[in-house]
Amino acid sequence: MKKTLLATAATLMATSAMADVNIGNPMAMTGPIPDLNAPIAAAVDLAAANINEQGGMFADGETLNIIRADSACDPTAAVDAVTKLINVNSVTAIVGPVCSGATIAQAESVSIPAEVVTLSVSASSPAITNMEDGTDLVFRAAASDAYQGVALAELAMANGFTDIAVSYANDDYNAAIAEVFVQAYEGMGGTVTANEAHEPNKASYRSEVATIGAGSDNLALFSYYGSGGITLMRNALETGAFANFIGADGMLSDELIEQIGAENLGTSTFTTSASDDSTPSFGAWKAIADAAGVPAADPFVANGYDATFMMALAIEHAGTDDRAAVAESLRAIASGPGEVILPGQWAEAKAILAAGGDINYEGAAGNQDFDENGDVAGNFSKSVIVDGAWAAELIQ
Amino acid sequence: MWDAFGFEFVNFYFIPGLVLGCIYALGAIGITLTFGILRFANFAHGEIMMSGAYLTWTIMAILGAAGLALHPLVALIPASVLVIVLFLATDRFFYKPFRKADTIKVVMASFGMMLIIRSAVQVIWGPNQITFVPGIAKPNPTLQALTGDIGMMILMPNKHIWIFAGTIVLVVALGYLLNRTRIGKAMRAVSDSPDLAHVTGINVDMVIRATWIVGGICATAAGVFLVMDTQMLETTMGFRMLLPMFAAAILGGIGKPYGAVFGGLVIGLAEELSAYPWIGDAPLLSPGYKTGVAFAIMVIMLIVRPQGLFKGRSF
Amino acid sequence: MEAYTGYFLYILSLLTVGGIYAIFALGLNVQWGFAGLFNAGIVGFAAVGAYTYALLTTAESPFHIGGFGLPLPVGMAVAMAMSALIAGIIGLICIRLRSDYLAIATIGIGEIIKLILKNETDITNGPRGINKIPRAWEHFSEERFYTSWPMSWFGTPENWEAFFDGLPNWYWQPLFAGTIVLVVFIIYKMLERARLSPWGRMMTAIRENEPASRAAGKDVTRRRIEAFVIGAAIMGLGGALFAQHLRLIEPTNTFDPSKVTFLVWVMLIAGGSGNNKGAILGAYLIWTIWSASELLISGGIALISSTFDTLDPSILATRAGFLRMMLIGILMQVILQRYPGGILPEVRPASPKATKTTAGPTGD
Repeated sequence: MKKTLLATAATLMATSAMADVNIGNPMAMTGPIPDLNAPIAAAVDLAAANINEQGGMFADGETLNIIRADSACDPTAAVDAVTKLINVNSVTAIVGPVCSGATIAQAESVSIPAEVVTLSVSASSPAITNMEDGTDLVFRAAASDAYQGVALAELAMANGFTDIAVSYANDDYNAAIAEVFVQAYEGMGGTVTANEAHEPNKASYRSEVATIGAGSDNLALFSYYGSGGITLMRNALETGAFANFIGADGMLSDELIEQIGAENLGTSTFTTSASDDSTPSFGAWKAIADAAGVPAADPFVANGYDATFMMALAIEHAGTDDRAAVAESLRAIASGPGEVILPGQWAEAKAILAAGGDINYEGAAGNQDFDENGDVAGNFSKSVIVDGAWAAELIQ
Repeated sequence: MWDAFGFEFVNFYFIPGLVLGCIYALGAIGITLTFGILRFANFAHGEIMMSGAYLTWTIMAILGAAGLALHPLVALIPASVLVIVLFLATDRFFYKPFRKADTIKVVMASFGMMLIIRSAVQVIWGPNQITFVPGIAKPNPTLQALTGDIGMMILMPNKHIWIFAGTIVLVVALGYLLNRTRIGKAMRAVSDSPDLAHVTGINVDMVIRATWIVGGICATAAGVFLVMDTQMLETTMGFRMLLPMFAAAILGGIGKPYGAVFGGLVIGLAEELSAYPWIGDAPLLSPGYKTGVAFAIMVIMLIVRPQGLFKGRSF
Repeated sequence: MEAYTGYFLYILSLLTVGGIYAIFALGLNVQWGFAGLFNAGIVGFAAVGAYTYALLTTAESPFHIGGFGLPLPVGMAVAMAMSALIAGIIGLICIRLRSDYLAIATIGIGEIIKLILKNETDITNGPRGINKIPRAWEHFSEERFYTSWPMSWFGTPENWEAFFDGLPNWYWQPLFAGTIVLVVFIIYKMLERARLSPWGRMMTAIRENEPASRAAGKDVTRRRIEAFVIGAAIMGLGGALFAQHLRLIEPTNTFDPSKVTFLVWVMLIAGGSGNNKGAILGAYLIWTIWSASELLISGGIALISSTFDTLDPSILATRAGFLRMMLIGILMQVILQRYPGGILPEVRPASPKATKTTAGPTGD
């Protein structure tokens, strides 16, 4: 049974994997956040399509294959999926998983022991910064919550909120960013009137909202829009417990406008990794994304594109799909010195690399320069409703 | 800011608790009848509820595209017919073969059905949320003015008024069915003692069909009321309601539909009231533990009084 | 050559994870197969075992309580004891509940355990979980192990470092898989012993006809609690190994009831409840199907989308994961109806004094 299955699987794989460059892409296809995941996966595919249209990989134009697997936001599934990607599909490197827990588990359990580079699209847990002992194999294209929480606290202060109530979904991402926010906000002299977790995916949050709403008119909401965030926000608006809302990128989505209505979101501000149309790199990305029908400013979608593009650049830079060369090349293409490459400029980058030049990728979601821990600093922008749609502006 | 309204306990804790309670109650009716008459805990009930809501939405969307805007409570009727067909087909192919076997077999079969139905919905409609009604629901102004005049301002959006009215109609109809009609009396008899009922010539197959029909209607209604309240459709919403509904059925006593209604209201209220600042300013119980309220009630009830408040069956 | 190493390592990982599930299934077999206790809260006992092990054996950490850095066997033993202790308390209260009621109660208790792990952030690091959990064999190459006893008796840190550098990076995988298979084998041997002993025959008697056993003077409640506690201890051990395998555990998604409790039940029912060999076979079979089906489905999608160019593969890809769940659900229905006793049905232990005839399969 096992043998037949493996043999069938191997033949099925072999049809698509001959002499191509394979990148493993475990994504949270099932599990708690499939709706957040879907546009990110679309952005990963879009990056691969752009690359293959513009000459593919290496001198002989090999195809870049994205081999997708389901990490389900779940350590068990992620470890299983990445084991298969590394051992059965023999991928060069891993782009993904989406959730921090899944990323840490697959890295510690599979990819670090196998010495394969992981570039996470959206894992933002501060725990990833120091997780490696002497290796240089885990990178991420999304900034740590340690940065965004602080940016959000500054934003709250700039908006003139001297007191605020905090409600966060009790999951790895939201609990982490809420903690950073509360610390930073209190450090800046703000008063946190209530700081409560809420269980994701409940049918009603009216009583929680009413209770924490007693002390403040301002709510800092940390939640995924797809797993309770919209319901909580709706309940808060219906009961009139809060006047102003701020939050991080888990909530920032067109889905929020569609469900709650732009007219009700006039007092909401959400931060996200830089998505200001006036910056050249985000402008380039937005043009590509709009043409392909991918929501450019949804949470971590730009990061998904960046991660895939950078991984391909790194493999191109190394000149081989050998696993060992990826980490060093990834650092080389991500930061200066070198010619600045914007999202989508594969042909240009390929030409420079072929001529032996240096490149510096400036990503859709920030400059994507890795520090010694493989983290990126990230810029942040704040999004508010203008004419019924999210409008982003860079926070300086 | 809501301090200005006064009366906040009723508006922000009690009424939301009752709304949630109504949804639990309708779901628990089906569970308690299946448990009482077919003698197994149907784990697929939450998914049936969810698929009922999806079918209702689809009917509304199709007819809406044809220019016919239906109220969810109207679209609920054809949807519940489809749900009943689904229920009867499931019973025929997956539960009936185990009628004489161990309970575990049919419970496992229902567990499998839960997975199959949920994945089918996820494959057909996709895993993403679907907007049921956009926007936010403001309190009904007439009710607000009327009750405001007598100093007890009640803030209740129209959707909640519909949910209360719908629940009351269904529960009264159910009462009529069980107490006044032949088939209803037969259902109660089978629930109380299947062997005795069989000896007295009651057509058990007929009773089983009736159980699925009643359960199907109530489940669809519960699903539709849930999406009317949350204003969106989601594929995991049925499963998340399942354990509180079990808790409601156990609290009321297995096989006792009125017990299930009462149990549902108690569980709904308990969940919402657990976040009330009874002592000091903070919620009594951290909202992170909200899900645990129903479980705790259920486990305590099972230990202290397994027959439930209304003296249902205990095995 | 490298490709074959890859397949070899994947098969090792199937052996590892399948073995961990086999341990859960054996634990459940004691509870359900021997004693007829419908435990639907496996996930709770697995989580208790995993967290106990993780807290005891990780290095000191600012994120959660302790990180006591104890030796691995100590962690595993305490994980078993802790799980057994909690099962004992639950057993004393709930054991008199029958079938479905016990199932519902244990589901509720399992969920409450998970909520506690998730909300008591100071102890467990809440939803972010515990990471850097040491894994057997691999942990020898961690600095804090080779610089302390007993490893430091045999070599200096430099020697150890050079030694591990010389090994292939997957050196621990066959050893870890082998250890798990060995643990499965030991538990199997012990349970077979128990099943054929007077204790095991008494269990069967209680399960099949409780009033008669009670009338024969057996302490039914006590035997039931014993089975519940032993099963839970085995599940606790499974949880500890699960934590080693994953190296990060968190309460929400790692311990998802549909992927732990439900999958283990499918394994036991498919393999044959009451039969220890069946439990092991079911675990390996279902896990292999579960894991390999992803390769098949993703390969199938690649095939379909390369055959039909007009089809948008992204929709198929987004929804393929759900087809996998559906497959497991359908597979289970088929097994339930076609193989009511499982693939290896139960063989009743015959009393050594009675004539050597084996009873027929049950469950039909």
